[in-house]
Amino acid sequence: MGFLAAVHLTVFAAASLTNVFPKIASSPSYSFGGSNMLAAQIEQGAPADVFASADTKLPAQLHAKGACGTPVVFTRNAVVIVVPRSNPGHIRSVTDLTRRGVKIDVAATGVPVGNYTTKVLRTLHLLGAVTKNIVSRETDVRSVLSKVALGEADAGFVYSTDAKTVAGKVTVITLPARAQPNVRYAACVVATTHHRSTAQAFVHGLLRSSAQAKLRAAGFLSLP
Amino acid sequence: MNRHLAALAVGAASLVALAFLLLPIVAIFAHTSPAHLVHQLSNPVVRDAFIVSVKTSVIAQVLIILFGTPAAYLLASRRFPGHALAVTLVELPLVLPPAVAGIGLLAAFGRFGLLGSSLHTLGVTLPFTQTAVTIAVAYVASPLYVRQAIAAFEATDPNLAAASRTLGAGPVRTFFRVVLPLARGGLIAGLALSFARGLGEFGATIMFAGSLQRVTQTIPLAIYAEFDQNFSATLAMSGVLVLVSVLLLLALRIGLTWQRSTSTTSPSLFGLSHSN
Repeated sequence: MGFLAAVHLTVFAAASLTNVFPKIASSPSYSFGGSNMLAAQIEQGAPADVFASADTKLPAQLHAKGACGTPVVFTRNAVVIVVPRSNPGHIRSVTDLTRRGVKIDVAATGVPVGNYTTKVLRTLHLLGAVTKNIVSRETDVRSVLSKVALGEADAGFVYSTDAKTVAGKVTVITLPARAQPNVRYAACVVATTHHRSTAQAFVHGLLRSSAQAKLRAAGFLSLP
Repeated sequence: MNRHLAALAVGAASLVALAFLLLPIVAIFAHTSPAHLVHQLSNPVVRDAFIVSVKTSVIAQVLIILFGTPAAYLLASRRFPGHALAVTLVELPLVLPPAVAGIGLLAAFGRFGLLGSSLHTLGVTLPFTQTAVTIAVAYVASPLYVRQAIAAFEATDPNLAAASRTLGAGPVRTFFRVVLPLARGGLIAGLALSFARGLGEFGATIMFAGSLQRVTQTIPLAIYAEFDQNFSATLAMSGVLVLVSVLLLLALRIGLTWQRSTSTTSPSLFGLSHSN
C-alpha cells in the first residue's frame, strides 16, 4: 500500500464514518459531514478525490451528472432511536414518540439519515404524529447524536454505529424489523481527481477483508 | 524610480485587497437575476427564515439597548476596582468562537445546565425555542453595542452634564436630556454593528437553538440547510443579507458622523482612538 501514502488523498465522507475511516486508512485528509452537503460541495467543484455517502442515491446522482465514477456499495447500517441515558421523555418504543411534548431531533430532509427517518415513520404510519414533536432538523447525523447525548432532545434518529460512539450516554431503541430501511453506503471516485488510481485503490480497498473487519467492529453490517 | 515602484506595489496590493473583498459579493448577484431574487422571496423557507430572523433580532436588540445602555454608561462614567476586568468581560463574547458560545449557552441554559436545570424544574425549557435564538443573538451581538456605547458616553463632554446638574436637573433628567442626545450617534452606530452581527449569527444558534423552519431557522441557518437542496434560494437569501448589511453599514457611518458633530471629542470605533 506504499503508493497510497505517496499521494495525499482528500476523502469526503458521511458523518457516520467519522470514527471508522481513519482506522481503515490514516493517510488521507478527511472531510466528514452530511452526505448531501458534501455532494453539493463536490458539484460546486470542491477538490475531493473520493466521495463516500451514507446512501446510494447521492453517488448515483453525481455519477449521472458525470461528477463521479461508478459507485461501489461497501457497507450497510441500521437506523435506531437513541434516548438520553436518563430518558427524560420516558420513551420505550417508537410509538412513544407520538406523545405530546416529546422533543425529537432528526436530520434535515436531504441528509441520508433524515430521508431514512421519514421512510421509517411513513412505513409505521407515524409520520404526521411524530413530525409535530420534531424540535430541530440537523445538518448531519452526529449533530442529532450530540443533542440527544447532551440530554437536550428526548429522542433522535441515528445509525446504530453512531450510538456505539457515545455508548455510556444514550440508550438504543431498535425499530420494528418491518420498518428498518435498507441503509447502504456507496463510494465513488470524484471525476476531477488528479489521483485517479490512488482514489480507485481507496474505494476498492473498502471491500477488502481488513477494511470490512474494521467496519464490522464499528458495528456496520456486512454486505449480503 | 524606487518611489514609483513603491507606489505601484501599494496600488497593486490595494487592487488585490479590494477585488478579494468584493468578488464574493459580486458573485452572489451575478449568479441570480433581480427578478429571480424577488421571486425566491415568496419561497416559504425563505419567507419563514426572514420572519424568524427579524423577530428574534428585533427582540434581542431591544434587550441589548435596555440592559446594555445603563451598563455602558456605568462603565464609561465611573471608575471602580475591577473596572478594566469588567470591560474585558463585556468584550469577551466578541472574540469567542461562536461554537464555544453555543457550548457555553447549552452548559448554562440547557436542560441540565447551570441555570437551565433550575429553569427546567420551573417548567421553562429554553433549547430549541425562539427564545433560545434570541438569547444566542443577544449573547454574541451585545458586546458590539456595549463597546460602542462606552466609547460614545466617554466622548460626551462631562462639563455639559455638570452644567445641567448645576442648573437643577437631576441625574436621570440629565442623562435623558443631555448625555443621551450627545451620545445618540455613537449608540446608533453600535446598534447597527450589533444588528449586523446578530442577523448573521450561525454557530451558537445551531448548537443552542437547533434549526426548525418557522421556529428557530434564521436566514443563516436556512442558507446552510438549503445549500444542497435549492442553491438559488440560498443565493436569494444571501443577496438579502448583503443588502441589509449595506444599509446597516450606512446607518453606522451616519451614526458616527452624527456623533462627531454632537460631541466635543471624537468617539472611537472598536475602541481605537481617532487622531483629530
